[in-house]
Amino acid sequence: MEAAETNAAKVKMKKQSPWTIARRKLFSNKLAMISLAFLITVTVMAYAAPLLTGYDPSRVDIMSRGLPPGEGHILGTDSSGRDIWTLLLYGARTSLTIGFVCMFAIVIIATFVGSVSGYFGGWVDAVLMRFTDFIMNFPFLVFVIVLASIFRGAGIWALIIVLSALSWTGAARVVRSKVMSEKENEYVMAATSIGGTPFKVIRKHILPNVMTTIIVQATLLLAVMIVAETALSFLGFGVPQGTPSWGNMMTEARDPNVIRTQWWVWIPPGLAITFTILAINFIGEGFKDAFNPRSIR
Amino acid sequence: MNQQEPLLEVDGLHTGFTIDGDMHYAVNNVSFSVKPKEVVCIVGESGCGKSVMSLSIMDLLPKHNGKIDKGAIRFQGRDLTMLSDKEMNHIRGRDISMIFQEPMTALNPVLTIGFQMDEVLMNHTDLKADEIRRRSVSLLDQVGISRSDQIVNEYPHQLSGGMRQRVMIAMAIACQPKLLIADEPTTALDVTVQAQILELIQKIQDEVGMAMLLITHDLGVVAEMADRVVVMYAGQVVEDTDVDTLFHDPKHPYTKALLRSIPRMDEKQEELDTIKGIVPSLKNMPQQGCRFVDRCPEAMDKCREIDPQLGEEAQNHAVRCLLYDASFPNEQKQRGVGS
Repeated sequence: MEAAETNAAKVKMKKQSPWTIARRKLFSNKLAMISLAFLITVTVMAYAAPLLTGYDPSRVDIMSRGLPPGEGHILGTDSSGRDIWTLLLYGARTSLTIGFVCMFAIVIIATFVGSVSGYFGGWVDAVLMRFTDFIMNFPFLVFVIVLASIFRGAGIWALIIVLSALSWTGAARVVRSKVMSEKENEYVMAATSIGGTPFKVIRKHILPNVMTTIIVQATLLLAVMIVAETALSFLGFGVPQGTPSWGNMMTEARDPNVIRTQWWVWIPPGLAITFTILAINFIGEGFKDAFNPRSIR
Repeated sequence: MNQQEPLLEVDGLHTGFTIDGDMHYAVNNVSFSVKPKEVVCIVGESGCGKSVMSLSIMDLLPKHNGKIDKGAIRFQGRDLTMLSDKEMNHIRGRDISMIFQEPMTALNPVLTIGFQMDEVLMNHTDLKADEIRRRSVSLLDQVGISRSDQIVNEYPHQLSGGMRQRVMIAMAIACQPKLLIADEPTTALDVTVQAQILELIQKIQDEVGMAMLLITHDLGVVAEMADRVVVMYAGQVVEDTDVDTLFHDPKHPYTKALLRSIPRMDEKQEELDTIKGIVPSLKNMPQQGCRFVDRCPEAMDKCREIDPQLGEEAQNHAVRCLLYDASFPNEQKQRGVGS
């Protein structure tokens, strides 16, 4: 019994999966680790917003409009008298929720479409890829504007659905090309030769080998989705006006007066967006590096 | 033994690839059979269609351009070419399994040995996970891997080539198949390991009592392992006989040339014998006459015009060559041989 236990311990120590190697590389990447810490902090603060501020993000206070940072309002107030710090926290919640949910939705769609298309080839591939081309060439902005006006009351979920439905195409193509090169490997034939069905072979053998690409894609998608939310909201077609989001906060900066005299209204959300996107991209680079067997780190 | 029903019967198999819209046959009218517990070797140079033939049996041809065009592959009386994918999946790995040439690439690099081994039994049995793992470990023991309880948790890159090939063999025999197809199982290995692996395959073939289709270009392996030998050239069977006859009384000029090309220890020779030229590629296959004619030392004029047929030269010995075809009297024979 004891011998078996020491054996098990040895096995654990010797375990050298590609994942462990990648994790070690990622952990030793300082920039990626700092970025990860930053992103986690932002996320925690966003979801713990009620604990960090006493104000209600949607409460308009006409008596304290456009106050500079100071006592009571750490970062001042905007032109409707809403507390900027509070808006920033709740806005992070909206922006990150949109980013993460879109990311997961896109990864699922792109992985499915890409792997089926790449593995089966032939007419399945042709049909799925023409559909992908169709979505890819869809006039994105027009579609979003139309849907945003139709589902005015639906809140952020309308935006999440529209963004996910239109943004999976690039990732699907990347997954497809990876699957196509991966399925030429002999182990795929070997897996089929022991009686594996196509979907089993895709799920158990091809996807683990493509996973690294998918993770890198997902990280970069997260950044793209947050930027998309911000841009659309800035234009007024994203998150409904009443809901705090980083993009909606930036809308205030459309007034030249605000840009000139009230820096505290638009600088905080601007910095928040910039640093979050930067952090996510650093994490993405870190993943890319960690999964690349030829990188030295 | 001769009266036994064949386990596998390949009958008039044509397997082709679509290249630039045209069908080119890599396997052209191949017929042979494998009896239960028999070891049949398929011999030939690279590009003779040996591998394509074995992939045809397993239905593993590249989907986009490879296709079985004509012919039947009967396994225990069922025509495999007629089966659906689902039925085929049921047979692959359970009744027929395959060992690949390159153990480096035939194992998935990101999955543990145990995970990949368990898969065979998971595909074909209803056993519980821990029972499957126990069996996988004992299979590894059976193929002579020590520390098998640790190896199951390791990754392919941690094993040597010989060990990986042992793992492949263990996977192939997991369900006690009736037929094992080994496509050049030792080509990618060191010479010392080759002998061990062959010995292992032979031992296991004996223990499990399975038939084997061994594909090789190494006549040393043939002498060691085979009961019957099928010599292939350019997609066709050119000679089909038992192993003793092949080595002592080869008929087809190609077989003779192959045998001459083996380096021998008991003869002093400055240069090794080779067969001049190369196997014609799929697109340059001669449309008429014998396919070996350009490289054949005994070629005759009529060899360019008449397609030789695979004929019984003697009991259990078939040859595809006009030299032995009784319907073409051979007054020209002398002239051909003299050159």
